[in-house]
Amino acid sequence: MLNCFQQAHHAMLPVPTHDEASRQEFAKSLKGFIQSGLLPGLAPVYQTRAAKAFEREHGRKPEDRRDIRTAMVPDPYFQLYASINRIAQELLWEATNLSVERELPELIAKAKELSASTNAQLVMPEGFVAPRYVTALDIHCMPGGYASEVCEDDVSVGVLYDRGVFLYSMGYGGPHNDDMGRSVCNYIKRNRPDFAPRRILDMGCTVGHSTLPYKEYFPDAEVWGIDVGGPCIRYAHARAAALGHEVNFAQMNAEETSFPDGHFDLVVSHILLHETSGKAMPRIFKEAYRLLAPGGLVIHADLPPFDLMDPFTQFILDNETWYNNEPFWGAMRDMDQIALSEAAGFPKGETRFTTAPMAIMEFMGDGYAAEATESVADREFTAGEFAPGGGWEVLIAQKPVDFAAAA
Amino acid sequence: MTEATDRPHVIKDAKGKRPQFYSQPGIDQLMSMVMVLAGEVCMLRDRMDAQERVARMHGINLAEGIDALKLDDDALQAREAYRQDFLDRLFYLARKEASEAAAQESDEAYRATIADIAVN
Repeated sequence: MLNCFQQAHHAMLPVPTHDEASRQEFAKSLKGFIQSGLLPGLAPVYQTRAAKAFEREHGRKPEDRRDIRTAMVPDPYFQLYASINRIAQELLWEATNLSVERELPELIAKAKELSASTNAQLVMPEGFVAPRYVTALDIHCMPGGYASEVCEDDVSVGVLYDRGVFLYSMGYGGPHNDDMGRSVCNYIKRNRPDFAPRRILDMGCTVGHSTLPYKEYFPDAEVWGIDVGGPCIRYAHARAAALGHEVNFAQMNAEETSFPDGHFDLVVSHILLHETSGKAMPRIFKEAYRLLAPGGLVIHADLPPFDLMDPFTQFILDNETWYNNEPFWGAMRDMDQIALSEAAGFPKGETRFTTAPMAIMEFMGDGYAAEATESVADREFTAGEFAPGGGWEVLIAQKPVDFAAAA
Repeated sequence: MTEATDRPHVIKDAKGKRPQFYSQPGIDQLMSMVMVLAGEVCMLRDRMDAQERVARMHGINLAEGIDALKLDDDALQAREAYRQDFLDRLFYLARKEASEAAAQESDEAYRATIADIAVN
C-alpha cells in the first residue's frame, strides 16, 4: 500500500494552496522514491564495480567507510543517487517556504495571539546568542537554520521546520511529527509503570514535536522544552497552545541551563546530540546529570553509534555529513556515549542503549491507513531510509537515589 | 493583510557550500532544473485531477467526457499546431545550429566581427 500519510493541521501551520500542497507532496514522494527505487541499487553497484575499481587502483579491498566513500564518489550511479537526494532535500524546503512566505505576517500575528492565550511560560532572554555549531551551517540544508529571524517576533523557520520535517520523514513520525517523544513515553510507561515525574525537561526541543507527548502521558508534570533557536521556541509555544497543551518553552542552551540542581525527574532529548559538537555533547551530558533529582532518568533518543554497524551501512549514513549540512553527524556516531555518560557522573555500568518501539501504530486513522502504517512499523533497519522499522535506539541512565552509591 | 511591499521575506538558500556531485560543471544545475520541471509536471497533473474531481462534485463527469471527446478537424488542427510550435521551441538550439550551418557562421567569423567592429 502506498504511503499517503498526511500531516494533521493545526492553527500554526499555513494553509497551502492546491499548487503549493502538490509541490510539497512531490518532494515527499521523491524522498519515498529515492528510498525504494534508488537506494537499493547502491549495494550491487558497490559490490560489482565500485569496490573492484577501488581494489584495482589501491591494491587492497576497501576497509572502512572512508574507503567505501572513496570508491563510490566517482561512480555515476552514486552521483545520481546523492545528487537527487540533495535536490529532494532542497525541494522540500523550497516548496514549504512558498506557503510560509505567503502567510508569514498572519502566522506571526496568530503565534502572538495563541501564546497570549495560555498560562504556560515563554522565556526569551534578551541578547541570547545561539552557539556556533547551530549557526555555522544551516543544518540539514534548511534555509535560515534554527535561529535566523527575518523580522520582529519571527516564527518563519519554526513553521518551515514543522512542515518540512513531516515531508522529510514522509510522515513516519505521525500526523504531529511526535513519534520519537511518544515512543520514549511508551517505553517509560511500559518499563517503569510507577515512574511519576514532577518536572520534565526536553533539551533541544525545536518546535516541540517530541515535547508535547510528555504532557499527554504525564499530565500532572510540569513540562519544559528548551532550544537555542528563538523563532523555534516562539513557534513551539504557540503550537502547543494551538494543540491544547500547557507546556513551557525557553530559549536556552542545553550545555548550560538556568534551572537549579536536581530540578527535574526526567530529562530527555530527541535528535539533538548529532546537531551539537564534540565540546558541547559532554557538557550536555553533565548538565543533564546536574539537573536530575536523585532517582531521575535521562533518555537521549538519537543516532546509534557507528561501532554497532557494518562499514557499508556507516558509509550510507555518513552521506548526511557530506551532503546534507550535518557537520557532527559522523563524528557523533564515533563517540563513546556510554563513557561520556559515566564521565558526567552516572554510575559505572548503569548507562545503556535500548530500543523504544516506534509508536506509529497508534496513529492509524485520518490520513494514516492501517496497511501503510503497519508496513512502516514492520520494516527491518535499512541504512539511508528514514527511521528504523522496529524502534528508536535510546541511551538511558538513572541518577542514583543514594548519592553514596555513585561513588 | 500587510501591504505587499512591507511583507517580510523568508530565507531561500541554506548556508553552507553545496557539494558538486558531477565532474562536469553545469550538470548539477541541469539535474536540479530537470527535477523542478518534473515537480511542475506532477503539480499540473494534480491540478487536472483536481479539475475532474471538482467537476464531478458539481455533477459533471469531466473524466468520462474527456475520454469520449471526439476531436473535430478544428481541434486536431489546433493541437497539431501547438505540438509543432512546442517542438520548435524545444529544439530551438537545433534550429539555430542548422541556420548557422546554412549561413556558414563560425567562431572565427564571430571573433573577426568583434575585431572589425572595434576599429571600423
